[in-house]
Amino acid sequence: MWRLLENRRLLSLLLGAAFVWSLVSVDWGGAFVHAGGIGTLQQFLLAAFPPELSPAFLRIGLNAAWQTTTFAVASLTIAVVIGLPSGVLASGQLIPRSRRGSSVALGARLLLAVIRSVHELVWAVIFVAAFGFSSLAAILAIAIPYGGILGRIYGERLADVPEEPLRALRASGASPITVLIYGRMPMALPDLLSYTFYRLECAIRAAAIMSFVGIRGLGFEIQLSLQELLFSQVWTLLMFLVALVVLVDIWSTRVRRSLAA
Amino acid sequence: MKEGPSPNGGLVVALDIGKSFAAVQALAPLSLTVHRGEKVALAGPSGSGKTTLLYLLAGIIQPDQGSVSIDGRRLSDLRPGGELAGLVSVMHQQFDLVPNLPVVHNVLAGRLGRWSLLRSILSLVWPQERQLAQDTLTQLGIGDKLQERTSRLSGGEQQRVALARLLVQASLIVLADEPVSSLDPARADDMLRLMTGLVESSGKSLVVSLHSPDLIRKYFSRVVGLREGLVQFDLPVEQMSDGVLERLYQLDDDNSRVAGVAVT
Repeated sequence: MWRLLENRRLLSLLLGAAFVWSLVSVDWGGAFVHAGGIGTLQQFLLAAFPPELSPAFLRIGLNAAWQTTTFAVASLTIAVVIGLPSGVLASGQLIPRSRRGSSVALGARLLLAVIRSVHELVWAVIFVAAFGFSSLAAILAIAIPYGGILGRIYGERLADVPEEPLRALRASGASPITVLIYGRMPMALPDLLSYTFYRLECAIRAAAIMSFVGIRGLGFEIQLSLQELLFSQVWTLLMFLVALVVLVDIWSTRVRRSLAA
Repeated sequence: MKEGPSPNGGLVVALDIGKSFAAVQALAPLSLTVHRGEKVALAGPSGSGKTTLLYLLAGIIQPDQGSVSIDGRRLSDLRPGGELAGLVSVMHQQFDLVPNLPVVHNVLAGRLGRWSLLRSILSLVWPQERQLAQDTLTQLGIGDKLQERTSRLSGGEQQRVALARLLVQASLIVLADEPVSSLDPARADDMLRLMTGLVESSGKSLVVSLHSPDLIRKYFSRVVGLREGLVQFDLPVEQMSDGVLERLYQLDDDNSRVAGVAVT
């Protein structure tokens, strides 16, 4: 059965059939497109020329961007604290070639899979129920699934470094832990950093969304402006969001360049 | 063989060791004694068992039969790690350095077998025994590269770093698997001069696999010829004639016939 599914041509055929079927089963007439939205969309697009650029509002935007950044950095810091040790364990390289070692790795991998398979918004709902609307709920809601994702990627990258230098380290008497910190870590570091930066971008996005559990920041301000239909303010806030992501991208490029050979 | 003083005062004593991989005999059972200060060259065509013999002597792989002892201690009784690292060190064909660490850590990696875990971790922040690394690199002529990132060094410099790591490991015997096969003649000569010189001055033994008759004559005291897993000769280097080496590397009759056909 599985062998059959691995056949690429058969798989493409099945997926294609599913797509065609979905096209046929859509009710194309009537309410498929909500015509009233076009007016609002037009209004929204026109509001971008120009966005709200009054100094008072820019200050609000800047302040909100700073708050979003702090939430994102706080969440990602906790995520790294979760992800790095569990990633090391999940890589299965710390206690190699023993039954205990492989069950530790399996346990770590399972834990990482569980915490990352729940979306940050769902975690947010859980933590709001536990702590109420608070910064802590928002930070943990991002940190936990991100920790799971980081742990998985870290584990993969640490397991996936060239073997020869590690063999040489072992030959000069290094233990599994020193092989890890003298060989695997330095060799995987550029990959680990670049992925962590990518996750920082994602954390900024997620922190903006978290306004609905009551934290301040860009998402909160966007929500307020939307409620009052002040679309030009929304555009300004979106620009701040894009600027944050671009800044992280520039920073990450710089760091990676300094690490490159 | 029981523990105790090794026969003939040999530093490395291999007794009747053999190794097969799957059904292929990589090395027919052989015995080999290397004395303190001896510089042994292993010659032989590809696939003759040179690497297998070196790995057996290094304890990297275990023999199917027989035993290897270094300084009277059987390798099979030693746990891998610190103890073994104090007895034997190996230089591979590639330099096997960690490219994005500074040179100083790649050199001091040779000390990891002697350091406690705490000291090893601490050393990444404050290099321990930094002076030792500095002196060794200076000895090898690259004293100014201590803080450089290893990947920024040239191939020849990287090989010196690998040699420095071997030296700070300070094992009793140094093994090297074709350390000069990827170097041009001048650098190969330079490398062997450094290796044999440093081994001589510290009273260690050296076993190196290589192909060049000139380099063998110039730098080694003894030559062992291997072919198809069998020892063909084991001579003081003065008694090694050109004919002996030529026969060692000669293609089989079958092979030479095929080669002849290909040429015409």
